[in-house]
Amino acid sequence: MNIISAAHVVYDYLIRDENDKVVDKRTALRDVSLEIAQGSFVCLLGHNGSGKSTFAKLINAMNLPGEGTVLVSGMDTKDESHLLDIRMTAGMVFQNPDNQIISNVVEEDVGFGPENIGVPEDEILQRVDEALQKVGMTAYRLKSPNQLSGGQKQRVAIAGIVAMRPKCIVMDEPTAMLDPTGRKDVLSAVHELNKKEGVTVVLITHYMEEAVDADRVVVLEKGEIAKASDGSLMDGTPREIFSKVEDLRRLRLSVPVITELGYELKQAGLPLRDGILTRDELVKELVRIKAQ
Amino acid sequence: MIRDITIGQYYPVDSVIHRLDPRTKLAGTVIFLISLFVTSSPVGYVLATLVLAGVIKLSRVPFKFMTRGLRAILIVLLLSVSFNIFLTPGTTILKIGFLRATKEGLILAGFMGLRLVYLVIGSSLMTLTTTPTQLTDGLEKSLRFLNRVGVPVHDIAMMMSIALRFIPILVEETDKIMKAQTARGADFDSGNLIQRAKAMIPLLVPLFVSAFRRASDLAMAMEARCYHGGEGRTKMHPLRYETRDRIAYLLMFVYLALMIASRFIRFRLF
Repeated sequence: MNIISAAHVVYDYLIRDENDKVVDKRTALRDVSLEIAQGSFVCLLGHNGSGKSTFAKLINAMNLPGEGTVLVSGMDTKDESHLLDIRMTAGMVFQNPDNQIISNVVEEDVGFGPENIGVPEDEILQRVDEALQKVGMTAYRLKSPNQLSGGQKQRVAIAGIVAMRPKCIVMDEPTAMLDPTGRKDVLSAVHELNKKEGVTVVLITHYMEEAVDADRVVVLEKGEIAKASDGSLMDGTPREIFSKVEDLRRLRLSVPVITELGYELKQAGLPLRDGILTRDELVKELVRIKAQ
Repeated sequence: MIRDITIGQYYPVDSVIHRLDPRTKLAGTVIFLISLFVTSSPVGYVLATLVLAGVIKLSRVPFKFMTRGLRAILIVLLLSVSFNIFLTPGTTILKIGFLRATKEGLILAGFMGLRLVYLVIGSSLMTLTTTPTQLTDGLEKSLRFLNRVGVPVHDIAMMMSIALRFIPILVEETDKIMKAQTARGADFDSGNLIQRAKAMIPLLVPLFVSAFRRASDLAMAMEARCYHGGEGRTKMHPLRYETRDRIAYLLMFVYLALMIASRFIRFRLF
Protein backbone atom coordinates (compact mmCIF):
# COMPACT_ATOMS: atom_id res chain seq x y z
CA MET A 1 0.00 0.00 0.00
CA ASN A 2 1.42 3.39 -0.96
CA ILE A 3 1.06 6.14 1.57
CA ILE A 4 2.25 8.81 -0.81
CA SER A 5 1.77 8.78 -4.52
CA ALA A 6 2.80 11.70 -6.63
CA ALA A 7 1.85 11.57 -10.31
CA HIS A 8 3.43 13.86 -12.91
CA VAL A 9 3.88 16.71 -10.45
CA VAL A 10 4.94 20.11 -11.68
CA TYR A 11 5.66 23.02 -9.35
CA ASP A 12 6.66 26.56 -10.29
CA TYR A 13 7.75 29.37 -8.03
CA LEU A 14 6.23 32.55 -9.44
CA ILE A 15 8.19 35.75 -9.16
CA ARG A 16 5.96 38.81 -8.89
CA ASP A 17 6.65 42.51 -9.19
CA GLU A 18 5.23 45.18 -6.86
CA ASN A 19 1.86 45.09 -8.59
CA ASP A 20 1.54 41.38 -7.96
CA LYS A 21 2.00 40.69 -11.66
CA VAL A 22 3.86 37.50 -12.44
CA VAL A 23 7.08 38.55 -14.15
CA ASP A 24 8.97 35.30 -14.11
CA LYS A 25 8.72 31.73 -12.97
CA ARG A 26 11.25 29.22 -11.79
CA THR A 27 10.35 25.62 -12.25
CA ALA A 28 11.26 23.70 -9.12
CA LEU A 29 9.73 20.37 -10.10
CA ARG A 30 9.04 19.11 -13.62
CA ASP A 31 7.11 15.93 -14.01
CA VAL A 32 8.02 13.98 -10.90
CA SER A 33 6.22 10.71 -10.25
CA LEU A 34 7.05 8.91 -7.05
CA GLU A 35 5.29 6.26 -4.98
CA ILE A 36 6.27 5.73 -1.37
CA ALA A 37 5.24 2.53 0.34
CA GLN A 38 3.73 2.53 3.83
CA GLY A 39 6.37 1.75 6.44
CA SER A 40 9.38 2.38 4.26
CA PHE A 41 12.37 4.61 4.95
CA VAL A 42 13.06 6.73 1.89
CA CYS A 43 15.95 9.11 1.49
CA LEU A 44 15.76 12.01 -0.96
CA LEU A 45 19.14 13.22 -2.11
CA GLY A 46 20.01 16.04 -4.40
CA HIS A 47 22.06 19.13 -4.89
CA ASN A 48 20.84 22.56 -3.74
CA GLY A 49 17.96 23.63 -5.94
CA SER A 50 17.20 20.07 -7.06
CA GLY A 51 13.64 20.42 -5.79
CA LYS A 52 13.80 18.12 -2.80
CA SER A 53 12.47 20.61 -0.25
CA THR A 54 9.73 21.64 -2.66
CA PHE A 55 8.72 18.02 -2.97
CA ALA A 56 8.68 17.60 0.81
CA LYS A 57 6.28 20.52 1.16
CA LEU A 58 3.98 19.00 -1.45
CA ILE A 59 3.49 15.93 0.73
CA ASN A 60 2.33 18.08 3.63
CA ALA A 61 0.05 20.28 1.49
CA MET A 62 2.26 23.29 2.25
CA ASN A 63 2.74 23.58 -1.49
CA LEU A 64 0.06 22.52 -3.95
CA PRO A 65 1.16 21.06 -7.27
CA GLY A 66 0.69 23.24 -10.35
CA GLU A 67 0.05 20.16 -12.46
CA GLY A 68 -0.37 16.53 -11.52
CA THR A 69 -1.65 15.21 -8.22
CA VAL A 70 -0.24 14.24 -4.85
CA LEU A 71 -2.21 11.67 -2.88
CA VAL A 72 -1.50 11.14 0.82
CA SER A 73 -3.21 8.00 2.11
CA GLY A 74 -5.55 8.36 -0.85
CA MET A 75 -6.44 12.00 -0.05
CA ASP A 76 -5.77 14.60 -2.72
CA THR A 77 -3.71 17.48 -1.26
CA LYS A 78 -5.67 19.92 -3.42
CA ASP A 79 -8.88 19.05 -1.58
CA GLU A 80 -9.05 21.62 1.18
CA SER A 81 -11.52 19.66 3.27
CA HIS A 82 -8.78 17.08 3.90
CA LEU A 83 -6.12 19.63 4.84
CA LEU A 84 -5.95 18.83 8.55
CA ASP A 85 -6.24 15.09 7.92
CA ILE A 86 -3.34 15.24 5.51
CA ARG A 87 -1.20 17.18 7.96
CA MET A 88 -2.08 14.70 10.70
CA THR A 89 -1.13 11.81 8.42
CA ALA A 90 2.10 13.31 7.16
CA GLY A 91 3.92 15.37 9.79
CA MET A 92 6.85 17.54 8.91
CA VAL A 93 10.11 18.33 10.72
CA PHE A 94 12.18 21.29 9.55
CA GLN A 95 15.83 22.19 9.56
CA ASN A 96 16.13 24.77 12.32
CA PRO A 97 14.96 23.36 15.66
CA ASP A 98 14.68 26.83 17.24
CA ASN A 99 12.20 28.00 14.64
CA GLN A 100 9.73 25.17 15.10
CA ILE A 101 9.40 25.00 18.87
CA ILE A 102 6.65 27.33 19.99
CA SER A 103 6.46 26.88 23.74
CA ASN A 104 8.72 27.70 26.65
CA VAL A 105 8.25 24.26 28.20
CA VAL A 106 9.13 21.00 26.42
CA GLU A 107 5.93 19.16 27.31
CA GLU A 108 3.72 22.04 26.24
CA ASP A 109 5.45 22.16 22.89
CA VAL A 110 4.92 18.44 22.33
CA GLY A 111 1.26 18.92 23.26
CA PHE A 112 0.79 21.75 20.75
CA GLY A 113 -0.14 19.51 17.80
CA PRO A 114 -2.69 17.41 19.72
CA GLU A 115 -4.16 20.64 21.17
CA ASN A 116 -4.63 21.98 17.66
CA ILE A 117 -6.56 18.95 16.50
CA GLY A 118 -8.78 19.00 19.57
CA VAL A 119 -7.60 15.88 21.37
CA PRO A 120 -9.19 15.62 24.85
CA GLU A 121 -7.07 16.67 27.82
CA ASP A 122 -6.27 13.22 29.30
CA GLU A 123 -5.31 11.82 25.94
CA ILE A 124 -2.97 14.74 25.25
CA LEU A 125 -1.03 13.94 28.43
CA GLN A 126 -0.85 10.30 27.45
CA ARG A 127 0.33 11.14 23.92
CA VAL A 128 2.94 13.56 25.24
CA ASP A 129 4.29 10.87 27.59
CA GLU A 130 4.48 8.39 24.76
CA ALA A 131 6.04 10.77 22.26
CA LEU A 132 8.73 11.99 24.66
CA GLN A 133 9.57 8.43 25.58
CA LYS A 134 9.87 7.36 21.94
CA VAL A 135 12.50 10.00 21.24
CA GLY A 136 14.20 9.53 24.62
CA MET A 137 13.46 12.99 25.98
CA THR A 138 11.27 12.13 28.98
CA ALA A 139 13.86 13.44 31.43
CA TYR A 140 13.62 16.93 29.90
CA ARG A 141 9.86 17.18 30.08
CA LEU A 142 9.67 20.32 32.20
CA LYS A 143 12.79 22.02 30.88
CA SER A 144 12.84 25.11 28.72
CA PRO A 145 13.89 24.42 25.10
CA ASN A 146 16.47 27.18 25.54
CA GLN A 147 18.40 24.93 27.89
CA LEU A 148 18.65 22.03 25.41
CA SER A 149 21.28 21.23 22.80
CA GLY A 150 20.45 21.31 19.08
CA GLY A 151 20.03 17.53 18.87
CA GLN A 152 17.76 17.49 21.90
CA LYS A 153 15.65 20.32 20.50
CA GLN A 154 15.31 18.50 17.21
CA ARG A 155 14.16 15.39 19.08
CA VAL A 156 11.59 17.52 20.89
CA ALA A 157 10.41 18.77 17.49
CA ILE A 158 10.10 15.16 16.32
CA ALA A 159 8.17 14.28 19.49
CA GLY A 160 5.82 17.17 18.67
CA ILE A 161 5.03 15.46 15.38
CA VAL A 162 4.91 11.94 16.87
CA ALA A 163 2.30 13.13 19.39
CA MET A 164 -0.09 13.66 16.46
CA ARG A 165 0.36 9.96 15.63
CA PRO A 166 1.18 10.41 11.95
CA LYS A 167 1.62 7.51 9.54
CA CYS A 168 4.42 9.34 7.83
CA ILE A 169 7.08 11.86 8.87
CA VAL A 170 8.75 14.07 6.31
CA MET A 171 12.04 15.55 7.42
CA ASP A 172 13.65 18.41 5.58
CA GLU A 173 17.36 18.27 6.46
CA PRO A 174 16.69 17.74 10.16
CA THR A 175 20.37 17.27 10.98
CA ALA A 176 21.90 20.08 8.92
CA MET A 177 22.39 22.36 11.92
CA LEU A 178 23.47 19.72 14.42
CA ASP A 179 26.81 18.48 15.70
CA PRO A 180 27.79 14.82 15.04
CA THR A 181 26.44 13.54 18.38
CA GLY A 182 23.14 15.34 17.96
CA ARG A 183 22.90 13.98 14.42
CA LYS A 184 23.40 10.42 15.60
CA ASP A 185 20.79 10.76 18.36
CA VAL A 186 18.21 12.23 16.00
CA LEU A 187 18.78 9.56 13.36
CA SER A 188 18.61 6.68 15.79
CA ALA A 189 15.34 8.08 17.15
CA VAL A 190 13.99 8.26 13.60
CA HIS A 191 15.09 4.71 12.74
CA GLU A 192 13.51 3.48 15.94
CA LEU A 193 10.20 5.08 14.95
CA ASN A 194 10.41 3.51 11.54
CA LYS A 195 11.22 -0.01 12.76
CA LYS A 196 9.14 -0.23 15.93
CA GLU A 197 6.14 1.90 15.05
CA GLY A 198 6.11 1.34 11.32
CA VAL A 199 6.09 5.06 10.63
CA THR A 200 6.99 5.89 7.05
CA VAL A 201 9.99 8.21 6.94
CA VAL A 202 10.92 10.53 4.10
CA LEU A 203 14.33 11.94 4.93
CA ILE A 204 15.87 14.75 2.95
CA THR A 205 19.56 15.11 3.60
CA HIS A 206 22.94 16.26 2.38
CA TYR A 207 24.80 13.62 4.35
CA MET A 208 25.32 10.46 2.32
CA GLU A 209 26.10 8.47 5.46
CA GLU A 210 22.51 9.01 6.58
CA ALA A 211 21.20 7.47 3.39
CA VAL A 212 23.10 4.20 3.85
CA ASP A 213 20.55 2.77 6.28
CA ALA A 214 17.49 3.75 4.24
CA ASP A 215 15.33 1.21 2.41
CA ARG A 216 15.37 3.31 -0.69
CA VAL A 217 17.27 6.26 -2.08
CA VAL A 218 15.93 8.66 -4.68
CA VAL A 219 18.20 11.25 -6.29
CA LEU A 220 16.66 14.45 -7.61
CA GLU A 221 18.31 16.76 -10.11
CA LYS A 222 16.89 19.97 -11.52
CA GLY A 223 13.35 19.11 -10.54
CA GLU A 224 13.37 15.57 -11.87
CA ILE A 225 14.41 12.15 -10.69
CA ALA A 226 18.01 11.98 -11.92
CA LYS A 227 18.98 9.59 -14.69
CA ALA A 228 22.07 7.42 -14.62
CA SER A 229 24.39 7.23 -17.62
CA ASP A 230 22.77 3.92 -18.63
CA GLY A 231 19.40 5.71 -18.81
CA SER A 232 17.89 4.15 -15.68
CA LEU A 233 16.34 6.32 -12.94
CA MET A 234 18.43 6.98 -9.85
CA ASP A 235 15.88 5.35 -7.59
CA GLY A 236 16.71 2.16 -5.73
CA THR A 237 18.31 0.60 -2.70
CA PRO A 238 21.32 2.42 -1.22
CA ARG A 239 23.55 -0.32 -2.64
CA GLU A 240 22.24 0.17 -6.15
CA ILE A 241 22.51 3.94 -6.01
CA PHE A 242 25.91 4.16 -4.38
CA SER A 243 27.33 1.68 -6.90
CA LYS A 244 26.93 4.42 -9.46
CA VAL A 245 29.82 6.47 -8.15
CA GLU A 246 30.48 8.20 -11.47
CA ASP A 247 26.86 9.24 -11.91
CA LEU A 248 26.76 10.66 -8.40
CA ARG A 249 29.95 12.61 -9.07
CA ARG A 250 28.47 13.99 -12.25
CA LEU A 251 25.49 15.15 -10.17
CA ARG A 252 27.95 16.81 -7.79
CA LEU A 253 26.99 14.50 -4.94
CA SER A 254 29.47 12.62 -2.84
CA VAL A 255 29.23 8.98 -1.84
CA PRO A 256 29.74 7.60 1.66
CA VAL A 257 33.44 7.56 2.56
CA ILE A 258 33.65 3.75 2.73
CA THR A 259 31.93 3.38 -0.65
CA GLU A 260 34.37 5.86 -2.10
CA LEU A 261 37.34 3.99 -0.66
CA GLY A 262 36.01 0.72 -2.10
CA TYR A 263 35.54 2.39 -5.46
CA GLU A 264 39.05 3.83 -5.50
CA LEU A 265 40.54 0.47 -4.52
CA LYS A 266 38.65 -1.16 -7.35
CA GLN A 267 39.89 1.47 -9.78
CA ALA A 268 43.39 0.67 -8.55
CA GLY A 269 42.91 -2.93 -9.59
CA LEU A 270 41.50 -4.81 -6.60
CA PRO A 271 38.61 -7.12 -7.59
CA LEU A 272 36.12 -5.66 -5.07
CA ARG A 273 32.40 -5.77 -5.66
CA ASP A 274 30.42 -2.57 -6.25
CA GLY A 275 28.38 -0.61 -3.72
CA ILE A 276 30.13 -1.38 -0.47
CA LEU A 277 28.32 0.62 2.20
CA THR A 278 29.82 -0.18 5.59
CA ARG A 279 33.19 -0.72 7.11
CA ASP A 280 32.35 -4.35 7.95
CA GLU A 281 31.48 -5.10 4.35
CA LEU A 282 34.73 -3.58 3.13
CA VAL A 283 36.75 -5.56 5.67
CA LYS A 284 35.00 -8.80 4.63
CA GLU A 285 35.66 -8.13 0.96
CA LEU A 286 39.33 -7.41 1.60
CA VAL A 287 39.66 -10.59 3.68
CA ARG A 288 37.97 -12.59 0.88
CA ILE A 289 40.35 -11.17 -1.73
CA LYS A 290 43.37 -11.84 0.45
CA ALA A 291 42.28 -15.46 0.92
CA GLN A 292 42.12 -16.06 -2.83
CA MET B 1 24.59 32.48 29.77
CA ILE B 2 22.21 34.77 27.93
CA ARG B 3 19.93 31.84 27.17
CA ASP B 4 19.19 31.31 30.82
CA ILE B 5 17.69 34.72 31.42
CA THR B 6 14.16 34.62 32.70
CA ILE B 7 11.55 36.95 31.36
CA GLY B 8 9.54 38.88 33.86
CA GLN B 9 10.53 38.50 37.47
CA TYR B 10 9.04 35.17 38.47
CA TYR B 11 10.38 33.96 41.80
CA PRO B 12 10.26 30.15 41.77
CA VAL B 13 9.16 28.81 45.15
CA ASP B 14 6.15 26.69 45.98
CA SER B 15 3.52 28.52 47.98
CA VAL B 16 -0.22 28.78 48.24
CA ILE B 17 -0.09 32.04 46.30
CA HIS B 18 2.00 30.47 43.54
CA ARG B 19 -0.48 27.64 43.21
CA LEU B 20 -3.52 29.90 42.84
CA ASP B 21 -5.11 30.08 39.42
CA PRO B 22 -3.62 33.02 37.46
CA ARG B 23 -7.15 34.37 36.95
CA THR B 24 -7.63 34.52 40.71
CA LYS B 25 -4.40 36.42 41.08
CA LEU B 26 -5.32 38.84 38.30
CA ALA B 27 -8.69 39.49 39.92
CA GLY B 28 -7.03 39.84 43.32
CA THR B 29 -4.57 42.42 42.03
CA VAL B 30 -7.34 44.43 40.38
CA ILE B 31 -9.46 44.31 43.53
CA PHE B 32 -6.51 45.39 45.65
CA LEU B 33 -5.81 48.32 43.31
CA ILE B 34 -9.47 49.38 43.37
CA SER B 35 -9.62 49.10 47.14
CA LEU B 36 -6.70 51.53 47.48
CA PHE B 37 -8.66 54.16 45.61
CA VAL B 38 -11.94 53.44 47.34
CA THR B 39 -10.73 54.04 50.84
CA SER B 40 -9.55 57.32 52.30
CA SER B 41 -9.55 56.62 55.99
CA PRO B 42 -6.61 55.44 58.09
CA VAL B 43 -8.60 52.34 59.06
CA GLY B 44 -8.68 51.34 55.39
CA TYR B 45 -4.93 51.77 55.07
CA VAL B 46 -4.31 49.72 58.17
CA LEU B 47 -6.48 46.97 56.71
CA ALA B 48 -4.71 47.13 53.33
CA THR B 49 -1.32 46.98 55.06
CA LEU B 50 -2.34 43.92 57.06
CA VAL B 51 -3.70 42.14 53.99
CA LEU B 52 -0.66 42.97 51.89
CA ALA B 53 1.72 41.83 54.63
CA GLY B 54 -0.27 38.62 55.05
CA VAL B 55 -0.19 37.79 51.34
CA ILE B 56 3.54 38.57 51.11
CA LYS B 57 4.14 36.22 54.04
CA LEU B 58 2.07 33.49 52.36
CA SER B 59 3.87 33.90 49.04
CA ARG B 60 7.26 33.11 50.61
CA VAL B 61 8.93 35.63 48.31
CA PRO B 62 11.58 37.66 50.18
CA PHE B 63 10.40 41.20 50.85
CA LYS B 64 13.37 42.83 49.09
CA PHE B 65 12.07 41.54 45.74
CA MET B 66 8.85 43.47 46.28
CA THR B 67 10.60 46.78 46.67
CA ARG B 68 12.62 46.40 43.47
CA GLY B 69 9.77 47.80 41.42
CA LEU B 70 9.74 50.90 43.61
CA ARG B 71 13.03 52.15 42.20
CA ALA B 72 11.39 52.66 38.82
CA ILE B 73 8.74 54.98 40.23
CA LEU B 74 10.94 56.79 42.73
CA ILE B 75 10.85 60.09 40.83
CA VAL B 76 7.11 59.98 40.30
CA LEU B 77 6.71 59.21 43.97
CA LEU B 78 8.89 62.11 45.12
CA LEU B 79 7.18 64.55 42.76
CA SER B 80 3.65 63.65 43.76
CA VAL B 81 4.50 63.68 47.44
CA SER B 82 6.14 67.11 47.30
CA PHE B 83 3.36 68.58 45.18
CA ASN B 84 0.85 67.40 47.72
CA ILE B 85 2.81 68.75 50.66
CA PHE B 86 3.37 72.20 49.25
CA LEU B 87 0.34 72.85 47.12
CA THR B 88 -2.48 71.82 49.43
CA PRO B 89 -4.08 74.85 51.10
CA GLY B 90 -4.48 74.74 54.89
CA THR B 91 -2.62 75.41 58.15
CA THR B 92 1.01 76.28 57.48
CA ILE B 93 3.50 74.32 59.53
CA LEU B 94 6.72 75.10 57.62
CA LYS B 95 7.79 77.89 55.31
CA ILE B 96 10.75 77.66 52.90
CA GLY B 97 10.90 80.75 50.71
CA PHE B 98 7.63 80.94 48.82
CA LEU B 99 6.83 77.28 49.53
CA ARG B 100 4.44 76.60 52.35
CA ALA B 101 4.01 73.12 53.73
CA THR B 102 0.59 72.54 55.26
CA LYS B 103 -0.66 70.02 57.75
CA GLU B 104 -3.44 68.91 55.41
CA GLY B 105 -0.88 68.58 52.62
CA LEU B 106 1.34 66.41 54.75
CA ILE B 107 -1.51 64.01 55.56
CA LEU B 108 -2.62 63.87 51.94
CA ALA B 109 0.95 63.30 50.73
CA GLY B 110 1.39 60.48 53.21
CA PHE B 111 -1.69 58.67 51.94
CA MET B 112 -0.80 59.39 48.34
CA GLY B 113 2.71 57.99 48.75
CA LEU B 114 1.42 54.94 50.57
CA ARG B 115 -1.12 54.35 47.81
CA LEU B 116 1.55 54.44 45.10
CA VAL B 117 3.92 52.18 47.02
CA TYR B 118 1.14 49.64 47.65
CA LEU B 119 0.12 49.76 43.99
CA VAL B 120 3.61 48.77 42.91
CA ILE B 121 4.07 46.14 45.61
CA GLY B 122 0.66 44.65 44.89
CA SER B 123 1.32 44.22 41.20
CA SER B 124 4.89 42.97 41.73
CA LEU B 125 3.43 40.34 43.99
CA MET B 126 1.43 38.99 41.06
CA THR B 127 4.32 38.92 38.58
CA LEU B 128 6.63 37.41 41.18
CA THR B 129 4.32 34.48 41.81
CA THR B 130 3.02 33.81 38.28
CA THR B 131 5.04 32.60 35.27
CA PRO B 132 4.59 34.60 32.06
CA THR B 133 2.96 31.56 30.44
CA GLN B 134 0.38 31.28 33.22
CA LEU B 135 -0.21 34.99 33.04
CA THR B 136 -0.91 34.82 29.30
CA ASP B 137 -3.20 31.83 29.81
CA GLY B 138 -5.02 33.65 32.58
CA LEU B 139 -5.43 36.78 30.51
CA GLU B 140 -6.65 34.79 27.53
CA LYS B 141 -9.31 33.08 29.56
CA SER B 142 -10.48 36.04 31.60
CA LEU B 143 -10.64 38.36 28.60
CA ARG B 144 -12.42 35.85 26.41
CA PHE B 145 -15.65 37.88 26.55
CA LEU B 146 -13.91 40.50 24.38
CA ASN B 147 -14.16 38.00 21.51
CA ARG B 148 -17.76 39.04 21.11
CA VAL B 149 -16.79 42.61 20.29
CA GLY B 150 -14.28 41.35 17.73
CA VAL B 151 -11.03 41.34 19.72
CA PRO B 152 -8.97 38.28 18.68
CA VAL B 153 -8.11 37.30 22.25
CA HIS B 154 -6.66 33.88 21.43
CA ASP B 155 -4.43 35.26 18.69
CA ILE B 156 -3.10 38.03 20.91
CA ALA B 157 -2.34 35.55 23.70
CA MET B 158 -0.59 33.23 21.21
CA MET B 159 1.48 36.15 19.95
CA MET B 160 2.44 37.07 23.50
CA SER B 161 3.59 33.58 24.36
CA ILE B 162 5.57 33.25 21.13
CA ALA B 163 7.21 36.61 21.82
CA LEU B 164 8.21 35.34 25.26
CA ARG B 165 9.72 32.22 23.71
CA PHE B 166 11.74 34.18 21.17
CA ILE B 167 13.07 37.01 23.36
CA PRO B 168 16.07 35.00 24.64
CA ILE B 169 16.78 33.69 21.13
CA LEU B 170 16.78 37.18 19.66
CA VAL B 171 18.87 38.53 22.52
CA GLU B 172 21.46 35.87 21.79
CA GLU B 173 21.29 36.69 18.11
CA THR B 174 21.79 40.40 18.80
CA ASP B 175 24.88 39.50 20.75
CA LYS B 176 26.18 37.37 17.87
CA ILE B 177 25.55 40.06 15.24
CA MET B 178 27.15 42.66 17.48
CA LYS B 179 30.31 40.56 17.74
CA ALA B 180 30.31 39.87 14.01
CA GLN B 181 29.98 43.58 13.20
CA THR B 182 32.62 44.52 15.76
CA ALA B 183 34.94 42.05 14.06
CA ARG B 184 34.28 43.93 10.81
CA GLY B 185 35.23 47.24 12.45
CA ALA B 186 31.85 48.51 13.67
CA ASP B 187 32.02 50.71 16.76
CA PHE B 188 29.04 50.61 19.12
CA ASP B 189 30.54 52.25 22.20
CA SER B 190 31.90 55.67 21.27
CA GLY B 191 30.68 58.95 19.87
CA ASN B 192 27.72 61.09 20.82
CA LEU B 193 24.10 60.01 20.95
CA ILE B 194 23.44 60.47 17.23
CA GLN B 195 26.58 58.63 16.19
CA ARG B 196 25.67 55.78 18.50
CA ALA B 197 22.16 55.62 17.12
CA LYS B 198 23.61 55.47 13.62
CA ALA B 199 25.96 52.69 14.70
CA MET B 200 22.89 50.60 15.55
CA ILE B 201 21.83 50.38 11.91
CA PRO B 202 24.24 47.56 10.95
CA LEU B 203 22.95 45.75 14.02
CA LEU B 204 19.24 46.27 13.53
CA VAL B 205 19.02 45.49 9.82
CA PRO B 206 20.36 41.92 10.06
CA LEU B 207 18.40 41.40 13.27
CA PHE B 208 15.13 42.33 11.57
CA VAL B 209 15.87 40.23 8.51
CA SER B 210 16.59 37.25 10.69
CA ALA B 211 13.53 37.85 12.86
CA PHE B 212 11.29 37.87 9.79
CA ARG B 213 12.89 34.70 8.49
CA ARG B 214 12.32 33.01 11.84
CA ALA B 215 8.73 34.20 11.87
CA SER B 216 8.07 32.73 8.46
CA ASP B 217 9.72 29.42 9.44
CA LEU B 218 7.71 29.29 12.63
CA ALA B 219 4.46 30.02 10.83
CA MET B 220 5.16 27.12 8.49
CA ALA B 221 6.03 24.78 11.35
CA MET B 222 2.85 25.77 13.19
CA GLU B 223 0.74 25.15 10.11
CA ALA B 224 2.42 21.79 9.61
CA ARG B 225 1.27 20.94 13.13
CA CYS B 226 -2.33 21.70 12.21
CA TYR B 227 -2.54 25.10 13.87
CA HIS B 228 -5.62 26.88 12.60
CA GLY B 229 -6.43 29.49 15.22
CA GLY B 230 -8.23 29.05 18.50
CA GLU B 231 -11.23 27.29 17.05
CA GLY B 232 -11.67 23.65 18.11
CA ARG B 233 -8.51 23.79 20.18
CA THR B 234 -8.16 21.88 23.43
CA LYS B 235 -5.68 22.57 26.20
CA MET B 236 -3.22 20.20 27.77
CA HIS B 237 -3.36 22.02 31.11
CA PRO B 238 -6.68 23.85 31.13
CA LEU B 239 -7.14 26.41 33.88
CA ARG B 240 -9.51 25.13 36.52
CA TYR B 241 -10.64 26.76 39.75
CA GLU B 242 -9.83 24.75 42.87
CA THR B 243 -11.19 25.12 46.39
CA ARG B 244 -8.33 27.44 47.27
CA ASP B 245 -9.37 29.77 44.46
CA ARG B 246 -12.95 29.89 45.75
CA ILE B 247 -11.70 30.71 49.22
CA ALA B 248 -9.43 33.39 47.78
CA TYR B 249 -12.34 34.98 45.89
CA LEU B 250 -14.45 34.96 49.04
CA LEU B 251 -11.70 36.64 51.05
CA MET B 252 -11.16 39.18 48.30
CA PHE B 253 -14.80 40.25 48.31
CA VAL B 254 -14.92 40.42 52.10
CA TYR B 255 -11.83 42.61 51.97
CA LEU B 256 -13.31 44.88 49.31
CA ALA B 257 -16.54 45.22 51.28
CA LEU B 258 -14.60 46.19 54.40
CA MET B 259 -12.59 48.73 52.43
CA ILE B 260 -15.76 50.29 51.08
CA ALA B 261 -17.23 50.31 54.57
CA SER B 262 -14.12 52.04 55.92
CA ARG B 263 -15.06 55.09 53.81
CA PHE B 264 -18.01 55.69 56.09
CA ILE B 265 -16.21 55.29 59.37
CA ARG B 266 -15.58 58.71 60.82
CA PHE B 267 -12.12 58.78 62.25
CA ARG B 268 -10.38 61.88 63.41
CA LEU B 269 -6.62 61.64 63.39
CA PHE B 270 -5.95 64.98 65.01
